[in-house]
Amino acid sequence: MNKTEEGISEPVWNLAELLERVDNDQDLLRDLLNIFKAEFPRTMRSLGSAVAGVDLKNAARLSHTLKGMLSSLGGVRAAAAAARLEVMASAGESASLKSAFDTLVREGASLLPKLDAYMAEVRR
Amino acid sequence: MKILIADDETLSRRLLEKTLERAGYEVVAVENGKLALDQLCKLDGPRLALLDWVMPELDGPAVCRAVRMRSEQAYVYMVLLTSKGSKEETVLGLESGADDYLTKPFNAEELRARLRVGERILLLEDRLVEARENMRFRATHDQLTSLLNRGAVMDLLARELHRSHREQKTTVILLGDVDHFKRVNDTMGHVVGDEVLTEIANRLIGAVRSYDFVGRYGGEEFLVVLNSCDPAFAPSRAEAIRKSISNRAILTAKGPLTLTMSFGVLLSGEWGIRSVEELLHEVDIALYEAKAAGRDCLRIAKPAAKAEPSSAPLPESARLRQ
Repeated sequence: MNKTEEGISEPVWNLAELLERVDNDQDLLRDLLNIFKAEFPRTMRSLGSAVAGVDLKNAARLSHTLKGMLSSLGGVRAAAAAARLEVMASAGESASLKSAFDTLVREGASLLPKLDAYMAEVRR
Repeated sequence: MKILIADDETLSRRLLEKTLERAGYEVVAVENGKLALDQLCKLDGPRLALLDWVMPELDGPAVCRAVRMRSEQAYVYMVLLTSKGSKEETVLGLESGADDYLTKPFNAEELRARLRVGERILLLEDRLVEARENMRFRATHDQLTSLLNRGAVMDLLARELHRSHREQKTTVILLGDVDHFKRVNDTMGHVVGDEVLTEIANRLIGAVRSYDFVGRYGGEEFLVVLNSCDPAFAPSRAEAIRKSISNRAILTAKGPLTLTMSFGVLLSGEWGIRSVEELLHEVDIALYEAKAAGRDCLRIAKPAAKAEPSSAPLPESARLRQ
């Protein structure tokens, strides 16, 4: 467990919460992880372009989508990072957009191996 | 029960879809607000809806507003599903017409409980609509025969006369009276009398087209309105209706009864612009003439044959009906 930027302890991935949400349905969980693996990198690429081009409207929209996706999947810290980015983009805070995006990239990078490890484990 | 999920985010949509299917719902899932509105505006569309707040084309609150602008369709219970959580946004969502809201990520048990609330509201609405329809039916239909009552059939006749005049068509009015009905009541009792009236109502309905009207005008009097009727065929149509009563016995609790009816007939096209009351007065005179001619027949009201006011026939109550 790591500390978030606010100092609150949050798991990278709250698997217990996710299992409760899917009623312990492993097929559904696998389905959701596959959707995430396909959608997350694509949306992140679009968000990266929006941030680089200071396209605040698209940055807000895409970070909102990522926030929803990550929170549904229990990716608590990455969801929080996406939420911060959405707030900044919506408020027009273009100066801090890049660093908020970098935080999201880092949190996403911490989350993905955990998802991969879980998928490998359930496949065994 | 059918439920709509509108969410542009694939993962949330899939999660919702599966959660609700497991709860026994028939799920319709769409990815934007416009498709959601299309589904909710369908006649047999879902009446429960889970709408994401932020969506392309139309957002959740806009879908709620558009749905609430329709007044003629059944109520749709809408829940906004959102990661927005401030009081201002909650108020905005509810003010747009949503019935409830739920924040993402949702808890499956809470979601199902909130949807059950929606189902209870919809059930209540269905019962209210059913009660209103029953009251409307009772206000416009005769309790014994289930035909239109006098007020309702006269309203429809007035509307039909306007339409036929505008379209230069003919509405045919038949006012019929059961011959010697008083004898049935006096000798066989009111229960048999009611059986007779009910069967006559059924035969009259069976003798006209689906878009014609039949109403119970008084005790044993019936008003038949044939819409857009070719004047050349009006006498034969009226004869067929009359014969539908006399051509076979009516089976009652006290045995079969052969009864006849007399009819006054009027073709609106021959009378120009007249009020409903004037035309009914004329067809009533024709009915009186049919009775005077020996009953079990019909007489057609003709403007040229109209009597002078001084020699107008007796009022309804004094006529030879029995």
